[in-house]
Amino acid sequence: MEYYVIQSLNALVFAVILLLSGLGLSVVMSLMNFVNLTHGSLYLLGSYIAVFWMATGQPWYLAFPAAFLGGAAAGLILDRFPFQLFYARTHLMQVLLTYGLSVVFADLMRWGFGAHIATPQIPELLRGVVFILDTPFPIYRLFVLASGVVLAAGLWFLFDRTIWGAVVRACVVDTRIVEALGINTKHVFTAVLALSCGLGALSGALGSGILAAFPGLDEEILILAFIVVVVGGLGTFSGVAVSALVLGFTMTFAKMLSPEFSNLMSLAVMAGILIWRPDGLIAATRREV
Amino acid sequence: MPLSDFTRRRFLAASAATAGLTVGGLPFAAPALGQGKGELRIGLLTSLSGPFASLGESMRAGLQLYLAQAKDGIAGRPVRLTVEDDQAKPEEGVRKVRKLIEQDKVDIVCGVIHSGVALAIRDVVAASNTLTFIAGGSANNLARKAASRYVFRPTKTNWMLGSTAGTWAAEKISRKNVITIAADYAAGREYVDDFVASFKAAGGQIGRQLWTPLGTTDFAPLLTDIAAAKPDFVYTFFAGSDAVRFLQQYQDYRLAGRIPLVGTGAAFDQEDVLPAVGAGIKGAINTFHQSPSVPVAANKLFVDAYRQARGRLPGEFSTSGYVAGQVIAAAAEKVQGDLTDKDKVRDAVLGLDLETPYGPMTFDPKNNQAVLNIYVNEVRVGADGKLVNEVVHTFNGVRDPGATA
Repeated sequence: MEYYVIQSLNALVFAVILLLSGLGLSVVMSLMNFVNLTHGSLYLLGSYIAVFWMATGQPWYLAFPAAFLGGAAAGLILDRFPFQLFYARTHLMQVLLTYGLSVVFADLMRWGFGAHIATPQIPELLRGVVFILDTPFPIYRLFVLASGVVLAAGLWFLFDRTIWGAVVRACVVDTRIVEALGINTKHVFTAVLALSCGLGALSGALGSGILAAFPGLDEEILILAFIVVVVGGLGTFSGVAVSALVLGFTMTFAKMLSPEFSNLMSLAVMAGILIWRPDGLIAATRREV
Repeated sequence: MPLSDFTRRRFLAASAATAGLTVGGLPFAAPALGQGKGELRIGLLTSLSGPFASLGESMRAGLQLYLAQAKDGIAGRPVRLTVEDDQAKPEEGVRKVRKLIEQDKVDIVCGVIHSGVALAIRDVVAASNTLTFIAGGSANNLARKAASRYVFRPTKTNWMLGSTAGTWAAEKISRKNVITIAADYAAGREYVDDFVASFKAAGGQIGRQLWTPLGTTDFAPLLTDIAAAKPDFVYTFFAGSDAVRFLQQYQDYRLAGRIPLVGTGAAFDQEDVLPAVGAGIKGAINTFHQSPSVPVAANKLFVDAYRQARGRLPGEFSTSGYVAGQVIAAAAEKVQGDLTDKDKVRDAVLGLDLETPYGPMTFDPKNNQAVLNIYVNEVRVGADGKLVNEVVHTFNGVRDPGATA
């Protein structure tokens, strides 16, 4: 019994790791229709910021806002040049641009941070365990779980329940009408991109305690993020949360059944979902006016 | 920052600009001391991008350290080192080794981290009779069916580590209820199979065997399984980031200290893995041909010099680069720097009896494979609070069984 409770908890934590890797990507893809392959690089940048921040002895909890701000700042710069020139262009052009940039960023980070594997010095407070049904469970994982839930809820609130969110969603549907209302849509897109990059880096900071930071992690995360976003459904935000949950449980229980074939089983489930629902679990409802 | 670090960064900056470029020979030595044979061209094939980038940098640093120490060159010939990046991909390795042989006209090829690359270039170097020293890739087959006349391997085979671990664990830890968990690719399969074979031969019984795909993100479900099974010990092989994640999560789930961990040295590599892993992993046992505490003078000198150059303790691959340089130099000196008669060079290598940072090294004439001491290392917390591999037992002169196995 407790074995399955713990495994379910493991699955939940992994679902949050998936959710965190997909969040930033999903925001730009669903709200701006922009394919950002530098997402993995921003995640890795956030991981490195956390590693270095925690090594300096500054208060550990500030590492997360620092990572968010670092990512958001990078997003602001990238938005100015060259992303803005590509928002209106085809996905293929966006892929070409952002893939190229991700390769450049990977080399820059290897040059700046080194090629070795780095792990953050997690504070004592988070390093301990709590006993759940007499089984030790790492506190840090619960912390990541809670952070992920809070972040997702916050984003949902921001985009679905505030006037600012309504403006962003309106921009996606018809930019010109929004501009006619006297809103500078360029600034809106800049803000969304910065937010998405900040989220990517924040996720990296949170994930570094479990996944470490090293050259190559950027690609690993990008693939996970794409799987989550595509299975969840392009253009929907709640889909990402549902798909992270489904995939988190699938991957965890596949590993329990047969670790050797866990990748095969997980990918089969994903393929099944996409055959069943080609637009993802929760497809966006498009209203034609 | 030491000077060597500066050159490393400069190189990386340059490689960012042009993918897969050559480090145009930095002549490490003063002009030739005569003999009129010109410079000795060594080609280093290693992984400077991809999953083994950090290992490749260490291997290059180790070889460069040796060449920097050999101020007068090798056997009186100045050395020209050309470095190529195989990206840890077999087909890229083949392309780059062809370039080294045909375009750079190197006298010697050395390096190689990935066993797949080593096996892939084996036919190319064998066909062109190029003197080759595989310093990293440790697939058993290179000492067996794929052994070749002019291909030497101054490092261990996977069998040498797996089988010694089985013998040692059966005798010292337990003969029953063991779980193996390893990365599911050629190296992981070889280590675990060789461990299982010798463990069973010593009367041991194997429980569940877990295999995880390369690049596994989350080990939590498997660690929960291990916690529920309560084995007497766990035998493991992972490399690089997989190893760091596994060991870190092994501690997070409080298995460290409760269930003894035995593994292959690579999973506890001094340079690549241990600095990123917490102190909770202390007490873990691994079998390896390398350790900063190998009690020979050559190792002490190397460890000190490497520390000075890069500010950290050497692991397997920095040592492998250094040892490759040492073996090449020793063989070249025996033939007075004249590498034209390859059979003479071969005899020279096979006749070597060297003291290297690995310990004593000789070569087995039946497969050109190094015969090495294999150490049982225990991970301990050093005086500076950092983790260090300490030798607790030595298997002297371990020799791969070769093609008959």
